[in-house]
Amino acid sequence: MGGLARGRRPLLVLALVVLLLAIPWLLPQRYFLRVVDLGLVYAVLALGLQLLVGSAGQLSLGHAAFYGTGAYTSAILARKLGVPVEAAFLAGAVVAALLALTLVPVLRLRGNELAVATLGFGVIVHAVILNEEWLTEGPFGMMKIPPFRLGLLVFDTEFRFYYLGLAVTAATYLAFRRLTRSRFGRALEAIRQSEEAAVTSGINPVRYKSKVFVIAAFTAGLAGGLFAHLNRYLNPNDFTLTESINILVMVVVGGLRSLEGAIVGAMIIIFASEYLRAFKEYRLILFGALLVVFMALGAEGLRGLPAKLAAAARRPAPEPSDG
Amino acid sequence: MILDPLIGGIAMGCIYSLIALGYNMLIRAMNLLHFAQGEVMMVGALAGVTLVSVLHIPYLAAIPLIMALCAALSLGLDTFAYRPVRRRNVPVINLIIATLGVSILLSNAAILIWGAEPIRYPRIYGSDALLLGPVRIPPQFLAPLVVGGLLMVGLQIFFARSLTGVAMRAAAQDPEAARLMGIDIDRMIRYTFAISGAMGGAAGALLGPIIFASFNMGEVIGIKAFVAATLGGLGSMPGAMVGGILFGVIETFGALFISSGYKDALGYAVMIAILLVAPSGLFGRRARA
Repeated sequence: MGGLARGRRPLLVLALVVLLLAIPWLLPQRYFLRVVDLGLVYAVLALGLQLLVGSAGQLSLGHAAFYGTGAYTSAILARKLGVPVEAAFLAGAVVAALLALTLVPVLRLRGNELAVATLGFGVIVHAVILNEEWLTEGPFGMMKIPPFRLGLLVFDTEFRFYYLGLAVTAATYLAFRRLTRSRFGRALEAIRQSEEAAVTSGINPVRYKSKVFVIAAFTAGLAGGLFAHLNRYLNPNDFTLTESINILVMVVVGGLRSLEGAIVGAMIIIFASEYLRAFKEYRLILFGALLVVFMALGAEGLRGLPAKLAAAARRPAPEPSDG
Repeated sequence: MILDPLIGGIAMGCIYSLIALGYNMLIRAMNLLHFAQGEVMMVGALAGVTLVSVLHIPYLAAIPLIMALCAALSLGLDTFAYRPVRRRNVPVINLIIATLGVSILLSNAAILIWGAEPIRYPRIYGSDALLLGPVRIPPQFLAPLVVGGLLMVGLQIFFARSLTGVAMRAAAQDPEAARLMGIDIDRMIRYTFAISGAMGGAAGALLGPIIFASFNMGEVIGIKAFVAATLGGLGSMPGAMVGGILFGVIETFGALFISSGYKDALGYAVMIAILLVAPSGLFGRRARA
C-alpha cells in the first residue's frame, strides 16, 4: 500500500472523517441521502461477507438469509411485541448468529458444494418468511415498523439515519480490521490458501470457519435491523437469492480481501443500480455487461485498477498478445 | 394412482437432467459453475415459440434447430464474455460472477425481444394419453421422456465411443497430459460449451409447452437443475442424469404431501441432507480444487 508518507496519514484520516460527517450537510438532497443510507446498510452486509468469502475463502450464496432473519426479528420484536428498538436490533443480530450456528454441520463442505448448500439454505429461509404469515405477514410484507431509537435520539429521517448507518459501518470496519490483523485473521488466511496445510499447522478449519460464519451472520443481522428501521417496511422479496448474489457482487467488485473495497463496492453497486434507472429497460442489460467487464479486473477488483492503468501507461506500446 | 405423479416427476426430471448435464460438463471440464445455463434454456424455450408459432415449423423439427441455436449462443458467450475474463487468470469466483452477469444480461435482453409476459406455446399435443398397460403417459410428458431419454443415451455413447468424446473427457480429467497427447484443450472447451448449450436448448424446447415460456423461467428452473446436479454429484455425467430424475420425482411427490408454499424448499432440504451424508453427491468424485 506504500506511497504515503507516514506522518501525513493521521491528517488524511482526519480529513476523511470530517468529510464523512459533513456529507449530509454538503449534499442534503433527500433522494441522494436515501441512496447513501441504503449504501451504508449494504456496506455492513458486504463487510461481513468479505470476512467469509475474501478472508476465509468460503463461498456463500445464502447471505440474504441472515440479513432477512435480522430484519424480520428486529421488526417483529419492535412492532408486535413493543420491545425497545435498540434491544430488538441487537436481538435480530443474535438470532441471525444462532441460525448460523445450526448451519455448522454444513461447513464441512467446500467450494462449489458449500456454495450450493448455502444457496439452498437461503431458499428455505425465504420460504419460511414467505409462508409463516402469522409471524411475518407473508407476501404482503410487514408495514409500520417503528424508526430506530437510541434513548432520546430518533433516527427517522434520511439525514438522521445517515449518522446511525455511518456509526455501525465504522464500528464494523474497525472491529474487522483488528480481527483480520490478529492471529484469528492469519488462521483464516491459512485456511483459504490450503485447508490441509492449515491442519498441519494445528489449525482446526471447521472451528475457525464456524466462528467466521457466525460473525458474518451476526453482521448481516445488524444490517437487517438497520434496513428494517430505515425502510420501515419489509417484503420477503427483499431477501431472495438475487439479494445474496448482489452482496457477493459488491465484495468482488470492491476487491476480494479488502475491507475498504467491500464498502466502496457496496456504494458503487447501490449507486449503479439507482442511477442506471435512467437507461430504463436497458438498465439490467448494461448492469450484466458491466459485471462481466468488472470481473476481468481480477481478485483486486477496482482497487487494482489504478496500478494496472499506471503499468499500462509506463509501457510504451502494448505487447502483441500471443493468443 | 401412484404412477401418474411418478411419470410426471420423471418427465420433469428428464428436463432437469438435460440442464444438469450442461452444468456438470462445464464443471468437469473447467470447474466452472455456469449460472447462465438456465438462461440458455430460457432462450431455447422462447426461440421455440417463435419457430413454431411465427415460422410454422413443426415442433419436432424445431427441436434440433433450437439446439443448434443454443449451441451457437453458448459458444458465443464463451468467446465474447468468459474467455476474455479467463485469459486474465482471475480467481474462480470472478468467473462465477461473470456468468451471473451474463444471466442478468440474457434474461433482460429476452424481455426486449419477447416481452415480459409469459407466452403460451401453440397446441402441440392431442389430449389422449398413451396407455402402456397400467401406465398412463399424458401427451405433454411423452416428448421429454422420449427426446430427453434419447439425447442422454446419445451423449453417453458420444463420450464413451467417439474420438472427440474421449478427447474431451481426457482434456477434462488431466489437461496437461491431454495437451502432451496432442489434444487441443481450447477446442475441447469450445465443444463443451457448444454441447452444454445444445442440451440447454433441448430442455427449453421440451419445457416450453409444459409451463409457459417466459424471460424469468431460467432462474427458477436453472437453480432447480443445479440442485439436481449437486444431488447427483457436481461434475459427474451419470450424476446429472440420476440427480435430475430424482429431483423431479422428489419435487412432484413433495407437492402431494407438503403444503405448496414449501414445495420448492423441500428439494433443497433433501439436497442439504444428502450433501451432509455424501459431501460430493451421489455419484461425485471430489471436484478438483
